[in-house]
Amino acid sequence: MVKRISAVVLASALTLSLAACGSNNGGNTATEGNTGSKPSGEKKVVKILHWKQGNVNAAMEEINKAFEAKYPEYKVEYTTTGPDDEYKQAQRARITANDVDVLADLSGMRLSPKDWTPGAKVPDWQQWIDSGLIADLSDQEFVKNWNANDIEKAGTYNDKVYAIPTGKVAMSGLFYNKQIFEDNGLKVPTTWTEFLKLCEDLKAKGITPIGVAGKDVWPLKLPVFALQAKILGGGDQQKWIEGVWKGETAFNDAEAVEVLDKMKTLQDNYMIDGFMGIDYASAPSIFATGKVAMLADGSWDAPTIATANPDLKFGYFPVPATEDAAKNASFVGKYDVTWYAAEKGPNKEGALKWLEFFSESENYTKYVKAAGFIPTQDNIATDSEFIDKELTPYLGDFELAYEIMMINRQNVGEHIAAEGVHTEYLAPGGEFKTAKELADVQQKEWEAAAPK
Amino acid sequence: MYPFGKGMARYVPLLLLLIPFALYVVFYFGPSVLTVIYSFTDVKNIPGSPVKFVGLDNYYDVFFSGNSGERWRSITNTLIFMVVVTIVQNGAALFIAVLINQRLRGDNFYRAVFFMPVVLGVSVVSLIWGMMFDPLSGPVNMLYEWLFGYKDMFFASFTHAFGYIIFVQIWMYMGYSMLIFLSGLQSVPKDLYEAGYIDGTTKWQSFRHITFPLIASSFTVNMLLSIIGAMSTFDIILATTDGRFNTRTMAYDVYKETFRGSLEMGLPSALSVVQFLMILVFVVVAVKQMRKREVEY
Repeated sequence: MVKRISAVVLASALTLSLAACGSNNGGNTATEGNTGSKPSGEKKVVKILHWKQGNVNAAMEEINKAFEAKYPEYKVEYTTTGPDDEYKQAQRARITANDVDVLADLSGMRLSPKDWTPGAKVPDWQQWIDSGLIADLSDQEFVKNWNANDIEKAGTYNDKVYAIPTGKVAMSGLFYNKQIFEDNGLKVPTTWTEFLKLCEDLKAKGITPIGVAGKDVWPLKLPVFALQAKILGGGDQQKWIEGVWKGETAFNDAEAVEVLDKMKTLQDNYMIDGFMGIDYASAPSIFATGKVAMLADGSWDAPTIATANPDLKFGYFPVPATEDAAKNASFVGKYDVTWYAAEKGPNKEGALKWLEFFSESENYTKYVKAAGFIPTQDNIATDSEFIDKELTPYLGDFELAYEIMMINRQNVGEHIAAEGVHTEYLAPGGEFKTAKELADVQQKEWEAAAPK
Repeated sequence: MYPFGKGMARYVPLLLLLIPFALYVVFYFGPSVLTVIYSFTDVKNIPGSPVKFVGLDNYYDVFFSGNSGERWRSITNTLIFMVVVTIVQNGAALFIAVLINQRLRGDNFYRAVFFMPVVLGVSVVSLIWGMMFDPLSGPVNMLYEWLFGYKDMFFASFTHAFGYIIFVQIWMYMGYSMLIFLSGLQSVPKDLYEAGYIDGTTKWQSFRHITFPLIASSFTVNMLLSIIGAMSTFDIILATTDGRFNTRTMAYDVYKETFRGSLEMGLPSALSVVQFLMILVFVVVAVKQMRKREVEY
């Protein structure tokens, strides 16, 4: 009897393990609403592809419902997948199969090769446009609803509009706990020296100054974006980036080393012990429960922090990268969700109709409020204290982050790959004892990747 | 007489065989051959985009471009992974299989316990060990601190992460190897042991000269499964470190370049061809060696 039972257990175990093999290739695509296989009468289906992001998805569903109510001839099929790589996979599959009408992309148009970047990789979106897969929006009336500068920066290619950037986010700031600052008589620093002094004061009182999710590695890039934007090229990143292609500046020149060195100072002295072990999902709770006084994170995480502790009073200020307070007082960031319409999708006309509806200011307001983005349409009242009081004062000279502007060579080494400078490789976690050592390796990798 | 009938009816089985054969060609053999062809082209993941032959450019990029240092490290990592996993996993599995085979009380329970991780699947296993190995509050770090006064970063350590991944891989698949050994052990005729007992063998001698030669075929199967499995593993890496902290292997690189890299498919194809050739070499050598040892009494 016992034998028979265990045989059954083993057999089911084997079956389950086979089933598990089949199901963990990460392609589980959740489809909300109508799945297309169901006949939807005379209605024309608009297929929208997006990634999962709770607050934004909820707003999207609402907008889609309103769209269907206003235009009963359409039916929206809103599909979401996991974010990042999983989304990228779905995006590629759907656009090449002409199975999508409106698709989201992250960060606006970026990294398009220039005449000073010989041999640089052509980004996906540009290849899609060049292959005629993306619809030209230049003549659409609704484009005028959007801020012309933002459309120019993040939605225009070859003088034609192909994309709608739906909001901006700040990346180079630190969330700070207002209660802790008040209790210890501290104020928001405006220069690098003041910033270090603040960290020392916190440390002296036994408070850990900064939290960051090092395990995911990319959050370490966020404070570095501030340093890069304000230090490289004397505050003109673009000049430094062009210079590095032309051999006028270098990954191991004084400015680039200063960037790494300042980040190293923070990592070595003021970041929470074991920050390389903190994953991104748990970082907001570490901050929200007062374990750290500041958190290096993007402005999009403000709603998450507020949810983690509704009573917490917190603000957001740009990392003061230099001794020049005026220069420090602005954020570095990027465009977030960006819509493209597919040229060869099943329902291009529906896609344009949907984008038009989305661009109407009351619909967009709903969306941007839920997403917590900085609006890319003018005169939008977000009713968000966080955006109005914490972000707006620093939006005057809003600059794009290094990862949006830096055009990499193909096959660059891992220390400069993915448009970053990877301070995780610095000691104690990594193998490089000084900023200069890492910088030298980066320059070597850059030169090794030069086109032959 | 005529199990398949006469006349045209004789061809029916062949026709039926055509179905799986066609499926095999379309979904398995064809794509495999295409991968080899793609590795010599600049093919892109965009339908209708022009394709041209670029000779050995992709292979040159794999071995001699700006980031080839990392590719070589992936190859070394793959070899380390394969050797350590194959030896330790099979060694431990054999040991446990022999123990369990001794008609212990509750041997079925032990079998189920050791097989459990296989059932859980990669996602669950990496979640479990991610929590066990949490650097801030994980139980393993508490144990380390208590025993050695030392704390580790586990999956976020440039030097140790790969070792921990190997450990998790072995922990996960040992039960599978154990099961194969166990079935091998149970097919060894008992009278051989009795004969040995009469001749006065020690326990070690009877294992060395009776058990071991007779389970050689399970041994071959296990070795092959571990070699191929270990060399094509990427899921556990994806789920624990996502290739960060010096934990990339060739299989992980193929996945990454194919699904997350550029739209160009030439380089990942070249990578998979290199990976395939490596697996082929090891498997052929291993099979040759082990076939020699298989005996029947």
